[in-house]
Amino acid sequence: MSLPLKCSLCAEVATVHLSQVVGGKVTKVHLCEACAGKGGAVDPAVFQLADALHAPGPPAELTCPQCGFTDVDFRKRGRLGCPACWEIFGGALSPLLVKVQHESAHVGRAPLGVAPLGQLRQRLAAARTAMAAAITAEDYEVAARLRDEIAGLEAALNPA
Amino acid sequence: MSVQEILADDHDQARASGAQAVVLSTRIRLARNLAGQPFPGWAKAPQRLEITERCITALTELPRFRRGHVLRMAQQTDLDRAVLVERHLVSKELASGQAGAAVISRDQTCSVMINEEDHLRVQVLRPGWHLRGTWNLAEQLDDALAGSLPLAFSESLGYLTACPTNVGTGLRASAMVHLPGLCLSGQMDKVTRALGQDGLAVRGWLGEGTEAAGNIFQISNQQTLGLSEDDILKHLGYWIKHLVEQEWNARRKLALDEGDKFVDRLARSFGVLRHARLLSSAEAMNMLSHLRLACDLGCLPEALRDQVDRLLIEGQPAHVQVRHGSALDSDGRDLRRAAVMRAALQAFPEVGPPTA
Repeated sequence: MSLPLKCSLCAEVATVHLSQVVGGKVTKVHLCEACAGKGGAVDPAVFQLADALHAPGPPAELTCPQCGFTDVDFRKRGRLGCPACWEIFGGALSPLLVKVQHESAHVGRAPLGVAPLGQLRQRLAAARTAMAAAITAEDYEVAARLRDEIAGLEAALNPA
Repeated sequence: MSVQEILADDHDQARASGAQAVVLSTRIRLARNLAGQPFPGWAKAPQRLEITERCITALTELPRFRRGHVLRMAQQTDLDRAVLVERHLVSKELASGQAGAAVISRDQTCSVMINEEDHLRVQVLRPGWHLRGTWNLAEQLDDALAGSLPLAFSESLGYLTACPTNVGTGLRASAMVHLPGLCLSGQMDKVTRALGQDGLAVRGWLGEGTEAAGNIFQISNQQTLGLSEDDILKHLGYWIKHLVEQEWNARRKLALDEGDKFVDRLARSFGVLRHARLLSSAEAMNMLSHLRLACDLGCLPEALRDQVDRLLIEGQPAHVQVRHGSALDSDGRDLRRAAVMRAALQAFPEVGPPTA
């Protein structure tokens, strides 16, 4: 039996083996559990990101005016530079968001003092569906109550 | 403030009790960032330092953190940082950097990591399975935070985070579960696959990238965008309830099918822990897992489970060294760990047949 491979970064026994093919050349990296964890290689969520990010891409086209972060930086790091980056790179990130999050819009809570519009939109959609069902079922009492709720939510979402 | 104070604190006792047969603890984590500031991974060192101090000032003014602990990572020894990781108070990532800090409530239930991957990682950790109560506490803390710091938020994307895997709610809800029944009966791969297919991650004892020693796993939501906090909690709650049932079914079936062989397995683990002179961390955790199972099934008095849970923490490498008073090499730790186990188990009765 051959000796166990050692981690490329420290002397521990390697248990994670990665092969990367760049331009037809195969590079093999052997890592121990701890070093692989640090690099995110054993976390499926991060690794999926790396797949998307490490595809060879064009030179930087977008730069965040607030922090100087570019789309090339994002391809390297998989993390953004600052909150304003989301506005700059948001459009380009959309397919990635759908890939890792399956959705592209927030529906949860908002900080105090900020209207939780996502929640309101979700409630509005639910109320409209429920009203249609109530009308089909000829339950006009429920439908009337939902109509009022819908009017209230619409007013909150589109203040005059 | 020092890690020694955290270890010596009276609340420590309370924190380590109240775990349940399958669910050891419930955790809520919220990722938050300051508006207009570069994320920690992109910020320059002076900016990171300034953000750390600004967050510490804001947090220590909140009632929840009154008389709490403030720990700047740069001021901690390697061993103290490792202790914090083993107690799940900070992540490995925070502990490995210099610019971060942690603010921890007096009762050690709430902690905020500053300058980890995001500016703020709010964390509420409670023993046992209390998803709603833990969430309510996190929500209150989040509101208090938003009242004192400007948080980065977008109407369409929610809370803005450094990594796209956290954007939206920034919420990671998780349960730490002990699954010896499913592991011993070889069902864990199937369970991990099923959970993964339904959007839940299964990780080891110390989170991302760690192995599942002691049959203990952390189960958490993956998706943070396009689902409300309530949806995320309900989804996790549904699966944990199901998992607890499956685990109990597996335990009962093992006890019934294997009979004396099953009790013998638990009793042998007890014997090793009670008499061994050298114990590695992994071996100790796996034997303690059997002891925990013995408490759950009535092979040992159920009241001893809290003590077993404490030993799971005390047997970790950094804890063994800190309790010893100095750094030890691997052999020294194994010797010391075995002594801790022998002393703690002296008063334990014999392992008997299951009664539960």
